[in-house]
Order: sequence, then C-alpha cells, then structure tokens
Amino acid sequence: MMNIFRWWWGILLMFLFLGVLRIFLPLPFMNEILIFSIYTMGCNFLLGRVGFISFGQPAYLAVGAYGTAFYLYYFGTNPYIGILLGILAGLVVSAAIGPLFVRLRSDYFALVNLALAVIVFYLMEKVLAGITHGDNGLWFLTRMSNTPVLNLGNHSDFFIFVFILAMALWAFYKYLDDSIYGACCLATKINEDKLKFLGYDSFNIRWQAFIIANTTTALAGALYAVYFGFVSPDFTSPSRAADPVVVTILGGVGTLYGPIVGAIAYTGMKDLISGYIANWELVIGLLLVIIMLAGEKGIWGTLEPLLAKIIFRKRTVSGFSTNGDKNL
Amino acid sequence: MDTQLLISGVIFGLSLGSIFFLLAIGLSLCFGLMRIISLDQLLYYSVGAYLTYSICTVTGNAWIGVLGGMAVAGIVSFAVERFVFLRIYERDITFTMVASFGILFAGIGVIKYIWGLAPRPVPIPIEVQVSILGTEIPVYRLIVVAISLLVYGGIWLFLNRTITGKAIRAGIEDIDHVEGLGINVYRLFTVTFIIAGTLSGLAGGLHAPLIMVDPVMGLEVLPFVFMVVIIGGLGSIKGTLVSAFLVGQVISIGSLIYAPLAQMAPFAIMLLILLIKPTGLYGSKLLKR
Repeated sequence: MMNIFRWWWGILLMFLFLGVLRIFLPLPFMNEILIFSIYTMGCNFLLGRVGFISFGQPAYLAVGAYGTAFYLYYFGTNPYIGILLGILAGLVVSAAIGPLFVRLRSDYFALVNLALAVIVFYLMEKVLAGITHGDNGLWFLTRMSNTPVLNLGNHSDFFIFVFILAMALWAFYKYLDDSIYGACCLATKINEDKLKFLGYDSFNIRWQAFIIANTTTALAGALYAVYFGFVSPDFTSPSRAADPVVVTILGGVGTLYGPIVGAIAYTGMKDLISGYIANWELVIGLLLVIIMLAGEKGIWGTLEPLLAKIIFRKRTVSGFSTNGDKNL
Repeated sequence: MDTQLLISGVIFGLSLGSIFFLLAIGLSLCFGLMRIISLDQLLYYSVGAYLTYSICTVTGNAWIGVLGGMAVAGIVSFAVERFVFLRIYERDITFTMVASFGILFAGIGVIKYIWGLAPRPVPIPIEVQVSILGTEIPVYRLIVVAISLLVYGGIWLFLNRTITGKAIRAGIEDIDHVEGLGINVYRLFTVTFIIAGTLSGLAGGLHAPLIMVDPVMGLEVLPFVFMVVIIGGLGSIKGTLVSAFLVGQVISIGSLIYAPLAQMAPFAIMLLILLIKPTGLYGSKLLKR
C-alpha cells in the first residue's frame, strides 16, 4: 500500500498543484498549458529517453488534428470518436514511417522530420486543398454534438477531460520509465552497442519509442482540434517547428515533470510578456540564452535537487540525480 | 514549356541558389568545425538585409548598404560568439541549438523594435536587363550568381592555400588532433564564426532587393538553408555549392510546373537523398562523432 502511494504521490502532487492553479489562472490558459504539455511529452520522451531530437513534431500534431477534423467535419459529430480517430491516425502514420526514420543519426533525424513537417504543411495547404479548404481551415465547432458526463464543447468540462488524460499519460510515462523497456530506451541513447550485445533489438525499441512518442503528439493535435473546433495548416507551420524542442529543453530534458514546467513557463512567459511589452520575442530569446548559459538541465532539472533537499532533507549525491534518473 | 520561361526560371533558380549557398556555407562550416547548429546565422542574414535597406535609403546606393550590412553582421556575430558560444562549445549539440534559437528570437525582437513590423522594399541597384536567347534577364540576378561563385573561389583558396584555412579543414576532420598540434582551436572557432556571420550578412544584403525585407525573413528561409546543408553533406563546401544550386533549380523549375511543388519538391528530394545516402551528397565518412 505504502509503495503504491509512494509511486503515485509525485504525480498527485503535481496535479494537485495544477488543480490549485486552475482557481487562480484563467481557463483558456490552463487548457493551453495542459495540451501543450501533452504535446511536449512526446518530444521529451524522444529527446530524453531515446536521444532523438525532432524538429518535425508539428507534422504528427497535424496528423492527429486532421484525423479528428476530417471525422468531425465530414462524417460524425461525437468528439470522443474524433479524438480516438486522431490517435489512430497518429499511430498508423508513425508506425508506417518509423522504420525509415529511426535508422538515421540524431542530427539527420531532426532535419528529416523537419522536411516531413514542411511536406505535411504544403500537403494540407495546397495539394489537398479540396478536402482541407487550404488556409481557411475546417470549422466544426458547431457541428460537435453534446456528449453526456463530460461535454467537450464546454471549456470547463474540456479542462477536466484533459486534466484526467494528462494525468493518465504521466502515469503511463512514469510506468515506462520504471519498466525494463524504459531502461532499454535509455540504453539506446547512451550505449547502443552494449544494448545489442545484451541481446536486445535496438531497432525495434527505437521504432516502438517513435510510435509511442508520436502517438502522444497526435493526441495533443486531436485535443487542439476539439478545443478550438478549428483546424488549419498553421498547426504544422515550419516556423513553429522548434517550439516543442525548446520547451522540452527549457523544462529539463528527460525529466518527468519537465514538460509541464516547461509548458507553464513558456506559455506563461509568452502570455505575460506579450501583455506588457510588444516584442516578447526579445525577452523570451534572452531568457532562453540565459537558461542555456546557466546550465543544461533546464528549469526542472535545476529545481529538482533543490526541492528534494528542502522537502526530504535528503542530500543528493552530486551528479547522480541530475537528469531525474534516480529510478534507474 | 516555352523556352523563354524556362531560361528565366533557370536564372531565377541560380540566383536563389546563390543566396542559399552564401547562407548555408556559414551553417556548414559552423557544424563541421565547432559541432554547433548555428540557427543565429539567419539573424545575421536579416541584419544584413535591414542595414542594406537603411543605408540604401540614406545614401541611395545599395552596394554601400551591402558592404555595411556585411560589416555589421560580422561585428554582431563576433560579439555573439564571444558572449554566448564561447561558453557553450563543450556542451551537447542540442543545447547550442536552443541557445542559438534564443539568439535568433531575441534578434528578431530587436529588429522589430528598431525597424518596426512593416515589410520594407529595397530598390534593385541595377535595373538593366540583358537579352539571353531572346529572354530579358535582369543583370542583378547574374551579378548575385557571380558574387557567390567568387565567394566560393575565395573560400576555396582560403581553405586550401592559407595556414588558417588548412587548420580549419583539419579541424573539420579531427579537432582533437589539431588541438594536439598546438593550434589554438578557439581562435579558429572565432575566425570561422565571423566568416560565417559575414557571409550570412552578404546573403541578406544581396537578397534584400529581390524580396521584401521583414523581421521574420530569417525564419522563412530557415528550412531551405538547412536542407541545402543536409543535402550537400555537413561540413563540405563543394557539396553545399552543388546542393544550393540543385535546390534553387528545383524550387524555380518546380514552381513553373506546379506552384505548390516549389516548396514541397526540395524536401521530398532531401528525404530521398537522406534515405539513400544518409551522409548527404559529399558528406565525409570521417565525420562520425
């Protein structure tokens, strides 16, 4: 019993914190944070666990978003089924292109993904304009039917839905981190030869990780689609390609709470600063540079040892818990 | 397709390829030697373009503007290298990339603060047209191509005939050995970075009359420049030249055939090349680090 509680308490604490934030912060902001952190989680898993840096996350985001949007615009009205179909689309696409991509080295992987994002962008904007309505996008906010229990058209209900979903995903990723599979993923990043020597198939491990991460990203896309009730090629615009990577590194690569801390920080900075100063890019850019100069651990990676020291009065061995890899 | 359209398309592609080449050479050198992905080259590109605009409106001569843009871009890149990159060369490649992304973002903020949001036009310095096979071609585009070929020649001479250039080439192959020979590699890094920044400024200045100068112009060319570097093979100057002209032609000819192809086709080609030859066209096998 005690062990189960210990396993859960970190997640519960985090989400209690988020629940409290809900009282103080406006609803759209909270929704944005939650969806963005789901978006970042996929990237975080790829970067922190498998060692793949990807500039093409918007491509998978768009796959999920358009999977949902096509269903809601042309066929049905139930947003839950739409989200499921978005996830399915992400799963199919990433499973199909995975074998081609995961063979590549990390830096090439990043750029091939960027290429994919650009291709998806122009596919949606121009080539498939007959179906996607090009830049005008697909509007289906009024087409979504009301669902019992949690009505996704209603933003406060939507918040609860995303909240539960995000929590489940966190538990899932924490479980992955603890499992042998998670250790294998980390091993492909750190020492692939040794992993092969131990008899594991590094290609399969990478492929599965690729599928898991990009399905998560597609889920975020599906959520965005339902939340806005609108999908346009802007989702996959190449100029936003670096966003998830930046947020991942801002939060702390490979840490469990990095994505949410990064998402809060990034969205918060963007909202807060753009409220006061017209050119928020300057401030965010400078902050990024400063954070990178201060250390490579990101916000959570820096905070975690401090917090652990204060809360548990434990002394962390220096250089041991730097990446939040205590569990391994 | 009719010949006149084709010829003007080829010239357009060549001039576009020249701009990409000037930009990509900086990225390629930075990656090859220092192992950093220097997104802030796109900032020096915008700085070069904006200074060309400013100086051109004051003096009325775009060439002085291009020179001024190059100089300022070089100075800015020197400052950035001293204050930021010198501290993070040792780090993992992703961190330098995010830091350079931050610099690019901050720089865009500064540009918006100084010059405002509105796109600015720069007059074309040479309005003369020549006729090639019955097609009117703007001389300026030919000059852009000539300048980029001159730069290629200059870079080639620098890398092959001077001792600093030879050290840089050796550094691309194996930085530890170069350091072991007693060469101050950090000075090499600074020199390379300034060359890269200056060339990016030149690219911006030359590109300014052909497009509208606006604050996010760097982000717009970013994917293409990356693609050029990747197709050519990281760290290879010759590969960069070939792939820049290839990409320029693909964009220009592609847009003649079917407009959306202009943006998509280069990426499809890059995807193909990488899947067949993961090191790019001229990528060295020694670069496995």
